[in-house]
Amino acid sequence: MSQDIVSPTPSANPIVASAQNVMKIYGSGETEVRALDGLNAEFRRGQFSAVMGPSGSGKSTLMHVMAGLDQATSGDVVVGGVDLATLSEKKLTLLRRDRIGFVFQAYNLVPTLSARENMVLPLELAGRKADKDWFEQVVSAVGLADRLDHRPNELSGGQQQRVAVARALVGQPDIIFADEPTGNLDSRTGHEILDFLRTAVRELNQTIVMVTHDPLGASYTDRAIFLEDGKVTSEMADPNADDIYSYMRSLGA
Amino acid sequence: MISKLVRRNIAATKGRLLLMLLSIVLGVSFVSGSFLLADSLRAIFSDITETAFAGIDAQVRGTESDLSTGEEAVRIPEVIFDTIAGLPEVEYAEAGLSAFFQVYTVGDDGEVNRPKGPPVFANSWGGPSVASSFALRDGQAPVGNQIAIDTTQAEAEGLVVGDQIQVSGPGIEKLLDVEVAGIVSFGASDALGGAYFNLFDLPTMQTLMGASGTIDSIIVNGRDDVSNAELVRSMRAALGDDGSLEVVSGTTLMDEQSGEFNEFINIFGNVLLGFALVVLFVSVFIIYNTFAILISQRIRQFGLLRSLGATGGQLTRMVLIEALIIGIVASLVGLFGGIGIASLLKFLFSQGGGEFPDGPLLFKARTILIVFFLGIGVTVGSALLPSLVAQRIPALAALRDGAGAVSETSRRRRVLFGGIVFTLGGALTLFGLFGSLGTAARLTSLGLGAALLFVGIAMLSVLFASGATRILGAPVEITRGLTGRLARDNASRNPQRTAATASALMIGLALITGVLVLTQSLRASFDKILDETVAADLFIYDDNQGFPFAGSAVDQVAAAPGIAQVAALTSIKVVINGEVDDATGFDVASTDQVLDAKLIEGTYDTGGDGVLIYSEKAEALNLAIGDSINVTFEDDFTDDFTIVGLFDDNTLFESGWIFDRATTRKHTNLDSVEFIGATFASGADPSQAQMAAELAVSNFPQLTVQDNTEFKETQEGQLNSLLIVVFALLGLCIVVAFIGIVNTMALSILERTREIGLLRAIGTSRRQLRSMVRWEAIIVGVFGALLGVVLGIIIGYAAVSAIPASFISVVSIPWTYAIIFTIVGGVLGMVAAVLPARRAARMNVLDAISSI
Repeated sequence: MSQDIVSPTPSANPIVASAQNVMKIYGSGETEVRALDGLNAEFRRGQFSAVMGPSGSGKSTLMHVMAGLDQATSGDVVVGGVDLATLSEKKLTLLRRDRIGFVFQAYNLVPTLSARENMVLPLELAGRKADKDWFEQVVSAVGLADRLDHRPNELSGGQQQRVAVARALVGQPDIIFADEPTGNLDSRTGHEILDFLRTAVRELNQTIVMVTHDPLGASYTDRAIFLEDGKVTSEMADPNADDIYSYMRSLGA
Repeated sequence: MISKLVRRNIAATKGRLLLMLLSIVLGVSFVSGSFLLADSLRAIFSDITETAFAGIDAQVRGTESDLSTGEEAVRIPEVIFDTIAGLPEVEYAEAGLSAFFQVYTVGDDGEVNRPKGPPVFANSWGGPSVASSFALRDGQAPVGNQIAIDTTQAEAEGLVVGDQIQVSGPGIEKLLDVEVAGIVSFGASDALGGAYFNLFDLPTMQTLMGASGTIDSIIVNGRDDVSNAELVRSMRAALGDDGSLEVVSGTTLMDEQSGEFNEFINIFGNVLLGFALVVLFVSVFIIYNTFAILISQRIRQFGLLRSLGATGGQLTRMVLIEALIIGIVASLVGLFGGIGIASLLKFLFSQGGGEFPDGPLLFKARTILIVFFLGIGVTVGSALLPSLVAQRIPALAALRDGAGAVSETSRRRRVLFGGIVFTLGGALTLFGLFGSLGTAARLTSLGLGAALLFVGIAMLSVLFASGATRILGAPVEITRGLTGRLARDNASRNPQRTAATASALMIGLALITGVLVLTQSLRASFDKILDETVAADLFIYDDNQGFPFAGSAVDQVAAAPGIAQVAALTSIKVVINGEVDDATGFDVASTDQVLDAKLIEGTYDTGGDGVLIYSEKAEALNLAIGDSINVTFEDDFTDDFTIVGLFDDNTLFESGWIFDRATTRKHTNLDSVEFIGATFASGADPSQAQMAAELAVSNFPQLTVQDNTEFKETQEGQLNSLLIVVFALLGLCIVVAFIGIVNTMALSILERTREIGLLRAIGTSRRQLRSMVRWEAIIVGVFGALLGVVLGIIIGYAAVSAIPASFISVVSIPWTYAIIFTIVGGVLGMVAAVLPARRAARMNVLDAISSI
């Protein structure tokens, strides 16, 4: 795997999450599928990373495994200094709750709760109180101050996704995983979200890993890693859309 | 936040919870109603007793011995009255004579006036006094050929003061003409459970009873300056050491009376409660199903919560809190719903001839506690398994379809668990049926066993629910084409759900079928006995109560023209070799011709001091022909009797002992019989002979004279009315099961919104969609009904086997009903599907497809 990580944040920044030689195998025998096949990757604090690759390359699986939603078949997944393989289901849940944030493609807000209630849901589940200053900072950053008491179905898709992003941020997790966060949005709203994610990294010092197949989306990030057949095949620092397009074309060729 | 989420979830899905709530409310209301009714009855009756006995400080009565039948008070000589009345401590004393189901007023149609269930009392009454239990409402106290009747009877029979009517009594040869002199109430109450009272002065009462010179009680009101204890003491002293008499205080009398009422009310209340618990038990399946479905519908939400850091325990708690809230609401509604149920039951019983005295329904703290305990317990308990499933939903369920599916291991574990529950239930049931247990233990064992059996079968039916519904659905697929195929697939694709839905129906129908097997077998056995052992042409008995009547009726029938042989039965108590036992007095001379006890050894000829014994009893007691036994009768007469015969059929001679009625008649205080059989003289015209017999007992208008066919019909009619009551009460189970089917269908359709949208999008018509939903429900309904019917037959068969062959000798399976019930299951399914089907058909195609 490439060692020349180039990023606007010092490479001295600590590693928040890493995967070492991770395998994820579904099924067995004839139907065996190697979703992750000896994958290595690391993510540093304050970094906005894009995970790219054709469908079936293992993007989503990588995210699920890194986030403790799914168990790797073998290899080490370390988040915040903790090896996930050593954790019980209960500990894993607590880790997810306290250290990891999620943004889903389909927003996944609880329809019966208001925007505010959705945002603080992970904290409440953990029995913690939201830090008031931080909460207000996040709310003003996502620009939803006047929509806090609305239910999800009273919000536009972009607004819903912003609530979802805010929900991930409110708990001040070590790392946020975003799974195609703009997949359900029109391009203008999508850019708003991407802008906002980048702002969160720059100004709120968050760490975000975003799975995407949109080169334009990836251009908002600090680095893009490319997956193919469950392995990282390439990495690009400060990617721009054109570079990614040409890289992807080269793959297709 | 969890509780907020729960509240919001309830609010968002309240439509889906409503039907389940209704099913719990029904069961809880029934429980609450049972308690309300029983408590209010207890309060009312204790109130009535207190007023009625308020003026009685003490009573003299005959001592009841072990040999008293308890139906009639023990007679005492009237002369004692003077001794008591003359005591200085006594302010007022009154001699009394009473009768239970013996003295009736007779209507214009020649039939006795009596309510359908409640008893008829007759009493001597000296008119209003400090000690009187009766209060005059109209007219005056009866003197000579006059009667006073209670308000209930006056109203029901349309009698007023001044009316001329006839009365019957065991002591008179023909009906007595009397005038209605007064209308009375018992205590302050108009109705004593619908009972009738006929009051006469003492001499008339004695004439009616054929009991001149005897009374059965002296009620006493003491002087104000004498304490009740002193009064009782001086009365005891005055009566001396006569062991046949006893003096009891008014308080004791009141306690005894309340005790009797309470005993009856307890039985009544417990029967109702039993049915209520069955209904509640059925709703368990519906609650379970609703929660299981709700959780599968919320699988994404639960997955999301898991990925946001909710622990499995938190999700389980969420579901349980939801159940708790629903349980509380259902209990609260059901508590007050009990008022409705109690009123409904009151109404039903009043239709059946009983009457409840008016009084407020009582909400006791105990009722409220039990209602909440059961309502919440049942709801939360039923939600427990589904809530544990919620715990196992992985976070990935939020991201990936099908990630929360029930694994094969957990299904296998469930089946294994079901097997254990089933075996345990079966063992308990068998233990209850065949074990040597007390009644309470037997009932508990049977009830618990049956409940476990049902749960076990419900769990095990998951194994064959798929296969069975596939088979049942095959004809549907053949006749309805693709729609039928989809219906069949839908019915069989979630065996867990199909099994739970069908189980609710299964329980109700299994119980009904079981009862049917029992009653039908009873009827068949009865017919068999009638055909094989009863040679009588005529049957003369009290067809309303089967209550004993005066033995003089037997002689009157025997003297009637066209009648050849007469034999009557009477039940008595005797002491045999030191042990109190039941015995039967019977006209042994006419055995064979009238009623056959199937003599297997010896003779019917008792020759005065002979006795016959049932073969099995002889074996148990180690007695044989020629053995001698010592017998003591009610009048203390003791003698040695020799066993002269063994008989093999104890259906009519349940006691196992047959004495000659000529002997028992001499040694019982009251000469009464319960049943007369008679044969026609050869050459006599049957209808004329029957009319002659009717005429002969016309002074006993409570008796009916029936030929063989009429007798059979009457007996069957009685079984049928019992069945109707049982069906009505168990019918509520079917209603709850029906709600369950509606509920499951409605929820399944919501769950399949996307799929239904797809079907519509590719061209399925609304009509086809409705037909699909309907047929799915029909298949599930028929499946549940079949399970119930099969199980019911097995239960009924087991119960019949457990009953001694002397009582039920033939097992009769109600095949026709079995088929009808199965069809009913299908119809219930069809009706249950109407609303859900309409809803499915109306679904907006685009919304349905885009829904997640």
